[in-house]
Amino acid sequence: MNFERVVFGFFVILTLSLNYAFVAGDAGATANHNVWILTFAIIVNLVAIGLKLGDRSQIGALLLASGLVAGFLLITARVVWIVAESGDGGGPALVEMTDIMSIARGALIANIVATVILVGDTLLSRR
Amino acid sequence: MTSASDLDRVGMIVLRYMRRPLFALLFVYSVGIMGMALMPGLAVDGEATHMNLFHAFYFFTYTATTTGFGELPSGFSDEQRLWAIFCLYTGAIAWFYAIGSLVGLVQNPHFIQAMDGVGFARRVKRNDEPFIILCGFGDAGSLLARGLSDHHMRAVILDSNPERIKALGVRDYTVAMPGLCADASAPKHLLAAGVEHPACRALVTLTNDDDTNLKIAVMARHLNPRLQVICRSTSAHHETHLQALDNVTVVDPFEIFAQLLYWAIARSELHNLNAWFVGARGVELGAPIQVPQGDWVLCGYGRMGHRIHRCLQGHGVGVRIIDPDVDTEVVGECTVLVQAQADHSALDAVGIEDAAGVITAMNRDSDNLNTLLSVMALNPEAFRIVRQNSHENQVAFDAARADLVLQHSLTTARRILKLLISPLIQELIDWLAQCEPTHTQELVTRLQAAVGAKPAHLWLVRLIPGEAPAVTEYLDAGGAMALGVLCRNACSFPERLPCEALAVRRAGQSIMLPDKDFSLEIDDKVLFCGIHWAEPMLQATLHNPYTLRYIVTGVDEPRGYVFAWIEERLGRRRGEYESNDRRPRP
Repeated sequence: MNFERVVFGFFVILTLSLNYAFVAGDAGATANHNVWILTFAIIVNLVAIGLKLGDRSQIGALLLASGLVAGFLLITARVVWIVAESGDGGGPALVEMTDIMSIARGALIANIVATVILVGDTLLSRR
Repeated sequence: MTSASDLDRVGMIVLRYMRRPLFALLFVYSVGIMGMALMPGLAVDGEATHMNLFHAFYFFTYTATTTGFGELPSGFSDEQRLWAIFCLYTGAIAWFYAIGSLVGLVQNPHFIQAMDGVGFARRVKRNDEPFIILCGFGDAGSLLARGLSDHHMRAVILDSNPERIKALGVRDYTVAMPGLCADASAPKHLLAAGVEHPACRALVTLTNDDDTNLKIAVMARHLNPRLQVICRSTSAHHETHLQALDNVTVVDPFEIFAQLLYWAIARSELHNLNAWFVGARGVELGAPIQVPQGDWVLCGYGRMGHRIHRCLQGHGVGVRIIDPDVDTEVVGECTVLVQAQADHSALDAVGIEDAAGVITAMNRDSDNLNTLLSVMALNPEAFRIVRQNSHENQVAFDAARADLVLQHSLTTARRILKLLISPLIQELIDWLAQCEPTHTQELVTRLQAAVGAKPAHLWLVRLIPGEAPAVTEYLDAGGAMALGVLCRNACSFPERLPCEALAVRRAGQSIMLPDKDFSLEIDDKVLFCGIHWAEPMLQATLHNPYTLRYIVTGVDEPRGYVFAWIEERLGRRRGEYESNDRRPRP
């Protein structure tokens, strides 16, 4: 067992889980989506990116790329949330909420890709 | 250059053929259009109108091509209708004449040949994959092309027989193999085949005529002195010529045949290994054919028989010869000789009962098969080695149940393929042939341990940054890499991958059968033999620095900066408490 794999796997899968937790439920309803979960997802994702820095293997490069995509999309979603909220403080309106949700779902795809690569690499290395 | 001149030739043929039809069309069009413009049309306000030139051209275009839209752009007068009839017949005839000429041109054999030449030269020129020029597409040529296709190596084929080039079109090769029906000894055809192309790796001449082969080899040497030329030659006279040229390898089918035959008779373990390497049918590694000791009966003393006799006699194997036209002086005195056809009585006279075996080396397959039948009747115990001349007779030879069938086109093709794909393997075989048989047996034991009963898979590894970045990086950093370490299996450390390194090529020198402590260097070429899946495993080690580090130390090193830093801190602290080195984690 490789301790680095445990830690990295933990952060990658946690990002995926948090991302799903955020996007699950009806897209239009603001009450279904917690901005704290989104923020945690961003932080955990950034940690996962940090852990992959310095890996010179091909798989490492691909994991770093998917992590960067997910991070970029999640941060964009968070920025849209901030901009939408600034008006009256009552949370984003329906239109903005739909935008945030579509961006966050895009990030979910990137996180799924990262997890599949991670699991596949571990299975293929057969150690 | 060549393709441009060919293109010019095609353009010229088209122009010459189409000159008259085009003039005919031009004339008919001019007359028809002008006439139509001059014909008075229907009267408007008492004054006859005229069609303008553009409308006349429009009308003529749809009439001459028999499209016929009707009376456009307005109704015609009777004069115009008369002229329209004239236009229709002349125009249509002129068109048919032009089209007929074009069809005739396309079917013209010279034109087809010129077009084939242009297309062929263009395909060769545009190809940037490495390729080999193959002159002669007979038995050996097609077997070689098949072998090259199995190794995904492209070939460009020249043959003067149109039937063979047509046959080439229906083969299912894995890579593109353009062919041209042309005389390969003409330099312009060699140029069209890409003899000066930077991706051209070698030129192989396999025509049946020694003179043509010599001519092609000489032409190719002049056109591209750096090109490797492999030339088939059966006459000693030509061979001395060819040996004088550098970069030319002479391949003598009879010599190869005689050598293989000698190995089969006296060095069966080497013959077995060689056959296993080339992937011959039904060969099992470490199970050489059991050949009896004693004198051999050689039927047929032509060029082939001559080489076999010389080769066997040179190695101390007794030979008795049957041939109707053999010259007593050529053979020497200490050899039993029967001057007759190889039939019952001749075999009886030569003493087939107490001979170890028989070699039928005549140049007609029916004679060889016939002799085999006689031998079966006279001495069923005799070992039967038979020469197969034509690839078509394969089924008959399979049914004849000879102990060893040797087909010289196949052995030649295999030898050339080895020279082209992995020259190291041929060097290894030649080296083993020079050494004591124990070397071969040792190698067979090692290979059996590594590969078992699987077929041989050979591959070459170059330790250059493009093909083995991890290893070159490791060596550049001052690390030492032993061959045995590189062959470790990353999946089940520290077991070995099922492969053996056969030879290493370093700075123009070949090191045969390196042991596991052999220290590798950058730019080495290593020839491996092993199970098929060992190659991708080894490739992974060669490319991935972490896998390489793991097989060297058995420790998974941290990959990211964060864990590398933590590891360093931990290591330093551990170093403070314990003075010993970092222990490898399982």
